[in-house]
Amino acid sequence: MWYEIFKFELKYRAKRPDTYIYFGIVFLYAIIAVDFLFEGNLDPIQRNAPIVIARTMGIISALFMMITSMIMGVAALRDFDHRIASLIFINPINKKDYLLGRFLGSLVILLFIFSGLLGGMILGDIMPWVDQNTILPFNFWHYFQPFICLVVPTLFFGGAIFFVTGALSRKLIVVYTQGIFFLMIYLLTINLAKDSDYNLFTAFIDPFTFQNISITTQFWSVAERNSLVIPFEGILMYNRLFWITIGIISLIIGYYKFKFTVISDKIKKQQALITLDVTKEIVDHYNNVRLPSLTMNSTEGIKFKTTQLLTQALFNFKSIIKGLPFWTIVLCALGIILLSSFDLGTSFGVDSYPTTYIVIGELIENTVLFFLLIIIFYSGELVWKDRDNNINGISDTLPISDFVNLSAKLIALLSATTILIFIIISSGIIFQTAKGYYNYQLDLYFIGFFVEVFPFLFLLSIICFLIQALLNHKFLAHIIVVTFIFVSTILLNILGYDHGLYSFGGSDLGAYSDMNGYGHFIEPFIWFKIYWISFSLVLFIFAALISIRGAETNIISRCKVVKIRLSKRLKILTIICVLVFGISGVYIFYNTNILNIYSTTATENIHRAEYEKNLKKYVYLKQPKIVDINLVIDLYPSKRSFEAKGYFILVNTHDLLINEIHVQKKPQEQINLTYVDFEGGYNLNTKYETYGYHIYELHKPLKPGDSIKMKFKQDYVNQGFTEKSNTDIVYNGTFFNNFYFPTIGYNDNIELDDDKEREKHNLKPKIRRAKINDSRALLQGRSGGDGEEINFEIIIGTESDQIGVAPGYLQKEWIDGNRKYYHYKMDKPMSNFYSILSAEYQVKKDQWNSLNTDEAVDLEIYYHKGHEYNLNRMMNGMKKSFDYFTKHFSPYQYKQMRIVESTSYKKRAQSFPNIVPFSESIGFIMDINDEEDVDMPFYITAHEMAHQWWGHQVNPADVQGRGMLSETLAQYAAIMVLKQEYPEEKVRQFIETERKRYLKGRAAEKGQEMPLYLVESGQEYIHYGKGALNMYAFQDYITEDSVNIALKRFIRDWDSFEGIKKKNTKNYPTTLELLKYFKEVTPDSMQYVINDLFETVTLYSNRVKKANFKKVSDKKYAVNITIEAQKYKVDSLGIKVPIGINDWIDIGIYTEDNGYKEITYLQKHKITNRNTVLQILVDKKPVSAGIDPKHILIDKNVDDNVMHLTEK
Amino acid sequence: MNSLLISNLSKTYANGVKALDKVSLTIPVGMFGLLGPNGAGKSTLMRTIATLQEPDQGLITLGELNVLTQKNEVRKILGYLPQEFGLYPRVSAKSLLEHLAVLKGISNRKERKEIVEALLYKTNLYTDRNKNLGGFSGGMKRRFGIAQALLANPKLIIVDEPTAGLDPAERNRFYNLLSELGENTIVILSTHIVDDVKELCPNMAIINRGKVLLQGSPSKTIADIQDKVYAKTIEKQQIKQYKEEYNVIAEKLLSGKPIIHILSDTDPKDDFVPIKAELSDVYFSQIFAKTE
Repeated sequence: MWYEIFKFELKYRAKRPDTYIYFGIVFLYAIIAVDFLFEGNLDPIQRNAPIVIARTMGIISALFMMITSMIMGVAALRDFDHRIASLIFINPINKKDYLLGRFLGSLVILLFIFSGLLGGMILGDIMPWVDQNTILPFNFWHYFQPFICLVVPTLFFGGAIFFVTGALSRKLIVVYTQGIFFLMIYLLTINLAKDSDYNLFTAFIDPFTFQNISITTQFWSVAERNSLVIPFEGILMYNRLFWITIGIISLIIGYYKFKFTVISDKIKKQQALITLDVTKEIVDHYNNVRLPSLTMNSTEGIKFKTTQLLTQALFNFKSIIKGLPFWTIVLCALGIILLSSFDLGTSFGVDSYPTTYIVIGELIENTVLFFLLIIIFYSGELVWKDRDNNINGISDTLPISDFVNLSAKLIALLSATTILIFIIISSGIIFQTAKGYYNYQLDLYFIGFFVEVFPFLFLLSIICFLIQALLNHKFLAHIIVVTFIFVSTILLNILGYDHGLYSFGGSDLGAYSDMNGYGHFIEPFIWFKIYWISFSLVLFIFAALISIRGAETNIISRCKVVKIRLSKRLKILTIICVLVFGISGVYIFYNTNILNIYSTTATENIHRAEYEKNLKKYVYLKQPKIVDINLVIDLYPSKRSFEAKGYFILVNTHDLLINEIHVQKKPQEQINLTYVDFEGGYNLNTKYETYGYHIYELHKPLKPGDSIKMKFKQDYVNQGFTEKSNTDIVYNGTFFNNFYFPTIGYNDNIELDDDKEREKHNLKPKIRRAKINDSRALLQGRSGGDGEEINFEIIIGTESDQIGVAPGYLQKEWIDGNRKYYHYKMDKPMSNFYSILSAEYQVKKDQWNSLNTDEAVDLEIYYHKGHEYNLNRMMNGMKKSFDYFTKHFSPYQYKQMRIVESTSYKKRAQSFPNIVPFSESIGFIMDINDEEDVDMPFYITAHEMAHQWWGHQVNPADVQGRGMLSETLAQYAAIMVLKQEYPEEKVRQFIETERKRYLKGRAAEKGQEMPLYLVESGQEYIHYGKGALNMYAFQDYITEDSVNIALKRFIRDWDSFEGIKKKNTKNYPTTLELLKYFKEVTPDSMQYVINDLFETVTLYSNRVKKANFKKVSDKKYAVNITIEAQKYKVDSLGIKVPIGINDWIDIGIYTEDNGYKEITYLQKHKITNRNTVLQILVDKKPVSAGIDPKHILIDKNVDDNVMHLTEK
Repeated sequence: MNSLLISNLSKTYANGVKALDKVSLTIPVGMFGLLGPNGAGKSTLMRTIATLQEPDQGLITLGELNVLTQKNEVRKILGYLPQEFGLYPRVSAKSLLEHLAVLKGISNRKERKEIVEALLYKTNLYTDRNKNLGGFSGGMKRRFGIAQALLANPKLIIVDEPTAGLDPAERNRFYNLLSELGENTIVILSTHIVDDVKELCPNMAIINRGKVLLQGSPSKTIADIQDKVYAKTIEKQQIKQYKEEYNVIAEKLLSGKPIIHILSDTDPKDDFVPIKAELSDVYFSQIFAKTE
């Protein structure tokens, strides 16, 4: 019998257009899904790599849970909805057959619909817009395996749950809303995944598996990602089994709970009650009551319309907030807020204080989907409210205009979102309070939600209403809205069309900074919103005019009545909106495209490519070097502009005449190079003017060793507004560096970086760093040939409420009118790398005094008022750094050190001569809990202090390995300072984050993973991450003192200004030099370590296979462990090659003391075989033991390094 | 109050059904009955007058108002009770009625309260006024529908099959209410219950397949066929034979045996007895006679 029902279901569905519409949606979406979901950011992973296919399928099956719900949810509900249940249920069918037939029939249809995924994705990979270089050879298994293993189980459990809820609730609204529940699960998994500690748990419960996939493959190499199919085993298999079980359980529950009756008990009761009431007391007032006469004098005019509008709005609003779905959404949103681990500006695993703007950012990020949900869902409900209740015959004849009617729905919808906003704001405040943070900044909450988010909600609501009004199909309209959001936000960006005049809604407000507030972002933001809101109002009026009223549903006949419906008032309103739209559009265009130059990324790329093609020939042209810099800069922060004039002294360091000097203006339209003047006269060759490249042909050639003065003046002026505006020169928190000023010669920073883009313009892949033995590159340091050591003097003028700061020592400070001036001068040569900052600063002062010598350094921190939290930690960081570095490396070259706070636009700290600009978002507002966190303000300070040595004393040559000499050594130095100040666990905790950084970074490497000593640009994961790991390992092997001796010698010989060897060469040092010093201090038995750590890419796979212990005597325990150690080298093609092991590796044994794990045995053993059995005697009762317990070596999986011991 | 003029109204649906075929009617103040079988085009005509549907061609005017273009003006004086309708389930009868009253322009709070209460009494919903409409029975819903149609002193009342689902007492009450209003209002009543029209309507029209078959006062149309209607009790198997021989306009059962009515200008003899013509005979003579 069930088979008959099954067949009937298939036949019925086969005739329904919905089935094919859904299939079409899935199919079409699958074609473009990869482009949408990954936004073209896949490189170096191929577009059709198995992992990409699997993730895409996972995400689509999640996104289209709505379809699953519609198909499965209505399967048993349909009979009730169409009110033929009584006809069906009187037939001799039993419950089992009925449910089974319906379920399986619908499931088959569902599988048919989602089979569109397979076809669509296969077709998508051969679409004309797909670059066939990004495609692996076609392999059907790559598509079919994830479909069967991932999608089918998802459809099964989703279908089972939806089928059961639909059948039990018998309400269409439930079918619609249960998608929300799944959305919540989806969000939950994403949120949990953010916090890496829950990785395994997340992978296990993720219903759609796409998080699971990224977790299981997080350390996969590029080669693996491009070839391996996700193995259906382990956590993935358990996950699928878990969800299939959930599906089966829900089917069983459904079977027992489902009642084969027409009316559910609840409704029966209610009706009985009322019928009783009626019969109880029939009072026939008929004869006594007369209908009163009515005045009805106010059915005209605005007042009446306003009354109607407000009444309708209130009525609609009540219908939303009385309903369960709304509160379900609100509760889900709150649940997400509660459960999600807020990313409180977290860096290095450390949270910031829950300042209002961070909390707002997180609140919005976590809840934006719920706003979308409310708008998409309720726009449909409101538009369909009358028709769904079949009251439209009555309501459509009310004397209320279509515009008033739809406006009332819009107001109701926005009021409902406002309720959600207030609830979210309250939860934000509660969150802050719970964290002990009381500076609520309600004005920021207001701006964040009502200025930034609300216009977006408004626009989206209008789009939803428009689409609902156009289409006579609620659910189809939902899907189109979702598609629209994707297209409008992602597609245009991919195509590079990002102007706010045509990307719907305009751009976001932009980043908030405590120092600069929303700065200059507000003005363009408001204009774009005016533009889009007026546009959408026209759409809204149109939506009102064509909305369905009465029996006419055909779109053509609705269009015919538009004219009749368009009242005079509406005409005027439309005209006003069109005018506002036009005027604001013109004004925006005037600002962004006429006052400023608007260029898409594509045109910018062409410019860069042309620059390289035309001018690369000059890259090694002999040019003089800058040796003196003298600047006068007048900053006008409130206008976001400055004027600079001054001079460079250039010296011909070459042994031939220099006839022409090439000057490159920074290619930024706000910068205007007013004049450049050379002593002795010149001819200006303007052939390359378009690139800002000026060739000055000197009247008097510059002889070897001679110098020349180059005077120049430039200004930086902002006119009007642009969309992506400059964040260096701002109202409060100006911070820019020497690259704003003219540079000498060809500037390869202007070149295109991205190799894909370069290929498009027929350029060879960019060389990420010159080869380590490139003789011409060895002559350049970090400044890239412009001049490396300079004398520096500057006068900064700024507005009187700000302080201007730059390298050097303050010579003089004065006030002139409402402006303040600061004169800085460095008393000795310094790196050609300087910064200029200005803001309303508070200053904290202190002094460091050497313990051994009479050295003293003045310390200052310039900070934003309110950011006092970590000043002491930073101050301490400076002092401890000076203690360590002066003792172990060399004396500090300056008499003063300053940390200067900069805005959150750049999230980094940077070390300039005697000054470190330090972003507000990475150290100043970190909330350090000394129990749990690493003291990152302390650490970052130490790292930047270390650059005064590694960077400013030793200037590395601009070749491979440059990052190791500056960043890796700064990491090492800072870790050593941390180690002095804090216990070992804190250091380990820090190293652990660097280990993950390295492993994740190498998995995403697009080119070749270089060994540390040849690290190239763009390989931060190597010079920071691996650098920290391996330097730590190195000092663990040869001792901290030995490393420091090597570094001391290195700095003695290679200091840029006084180095013994540096004085005799024009070359800057490379890692080859450094490794010589390392080798000097390393015993022969450990020399292999240098090769492993620095000269090659070495990985280990270490684990404990078996471990137990035996009590030998009263205070003697024998620990037996079997360990497996495998060592690999990664060759230049990225292939992991196992090699024989002959290494010293830590073996550790832990005991437990008062619940704390304590290491009782830690010794390096020489491991010579893959499998080794060791017996070790310890004094205390051991609990666990393992190989490399401190994770000194790089091992993808360190969880199996230590094993719990069993007693034998 | 002016009369409602319908001229040359035609409507063809997308599936080819011709719902209205050049319908022209003049509907004066008072009750007007619209008779016709299911699918005759009654509801289409009513919806078109009630501003809910666009005709393909034709004109409807109500005094100065063009019903097809000045929809909102018409809606201000319109009371409409559709044939089938639902209500918001989670709203009480009183509050929905109040809400509709505001939208219809009864801005005076006191007046609104009075009219709402009066209508609730009139439709016998007063005791249940605070209950949610979701719990209302079919009859109660229909009474609510009547109440809302009478809000705001409508000048044009259109009621489509209004008494379906009402018990006889309620039906009487409703018709009394309508005829009270019909004194100075146009009331268009569509029904297939012939007696309702006879009792209530001074004017009526019969339509079938989109065409107006007859328009006039019930008594006059009855008079037109007086003395032409004959009846006879026959056997079941004879029906076919009689239908071929005579102009059979009606057949009904009495004690299980068919009685047929025929229309004949002369006495057909053959045991037929002349009977007093009823409106139903007029109706059936129009519906059946012409279609053969």
